[in-house]
Amino acid sequence: MIRIPRTDHAVVKQLRVALGDPAPLDLAHSRARVAKWLADEAPLIRWGEMRSPLGRLYAAVSGQGLCAVDFGRGEAEFLKRFDPRVRLEKNPQSVQRVMAQLSEYFAGKRTRFDLPVDVSMLTQFQKTVLEVTCRIAPGEVWTYHRVAEALRRPRSSRPVGQALARNPVPIVIPCHRVVASNGALRGYSGGSGLKAKRWLLQLEGAFE
Amino acid sequence: MALRFEELIERHHDEIFAYVWRLLAGDRSSDRKTEAEDLVQEVYLRAYRNFSRLRANTNHRAWLYKIATNCAYSRLRQIRDGRRKAAALASVAAVAESASDIPASHGQIDRRLRFLVNQLPAKQKACVTLRYLQDLDYPEIAQILSCSHESARANVYQAIRRLRLALEK
Repeated sequence: MIRIPRTDHAVVKQLRVALGDPAPLDLAHSRARVAKWLADEAPLIRWGEMRSPLGRLYAAVSGQGLCAVDFGRGEAEFLKRFDPRVRLEKNPQSVQRVMAQLSEYFAGKRTRFDLPVDVSMLTQFQKTVLEVTCRIAPGEVWTYHRVAEALRRPRSSRPVGQALARNPVPIVIPCHRVVASNGALRGYSGGSGLKAKRWLLQLEGAFE
Repeated sequence: MALRFEELIERHHDEIFAYVWRLLAGDRSSDRKTEAEDLVQEVYLRAYRNFSRLRANTNHRAWLYKIATNCAYSRLRQIRDGRRKAAALASVAAVAESASDIPASHGQIDRRLRFLVNQLPAKQKACVTLRYLQDLDYPEIAQILSCSHESARANVYQAIRRLRLALEK
């Protein structure tokens, strides 16, 4: 015998049966499709960590090269810097070469890095500032003004400072080698700030 | 730490799929599973485009439901318009069959109910699905449909009443 639901409660109950649940296979199929689309759409960033004299050091690589280095902060703080849409994967092997070169640097066995770097997220001006910074030899320091002059924009010391603060790969691009005209360290965005900058300059013999 | 887009898929994909799949119930002119899959893909595509612009305190679940509701209703409108055009070409006067045309035999009540749900005004259909199939509370429904709690509650009440009266006919 057919029972027509005659109360609101009965209608709701019948509605749950009538509209039902999708099949688990259909759910899995759709989930896989969305995941595949995201894998094609969103860049993959692989990252790893190691101990360093400046505290826990994190490095990340994109398809183009090294895209992030940070130290003296927690993992969550490090991962927060990435666009929330990218896919993050902890993959120590993918940053092995980076970590090896950084270890050699901290041990005083390396002064320059041989790594592809991805600074595609920066503006053209910021990229140019970082390119000039790479010319500063270890053990040497330049002033913000000198970097600005090298760019043929002698009045741009402040924008140079701001561009250096956006350096995504400190140490590898040696923004710590740029100081104020009066010799003061002025600022440093990596790790513990000026303390880390002083430490790096001391390691390179540029600072007592 | 801010929610990452991948987590949005892990946490909410299944309920969003179930939601659009249910909203498509009663539409017998298309492959419901494929339609639901396409819609879910569209929901995540739209979400992806706008994700980095969201405020830190955004309720991501409600936001996804809102996109899903909009996508589903656009699609249902397209399907309905397509059916009307086809009916006009075939010189068929009546586009939709009446609910009472579907006999109340074994297994037919569910079909009739699906048909009736499909005839509900858009907001009532969304409200009743969100409340009783997705088990969302009224504040969340109000957020998704950009209305007051009272309006969400009234829409659910009206929808159930309408369904009950139609079934009794």
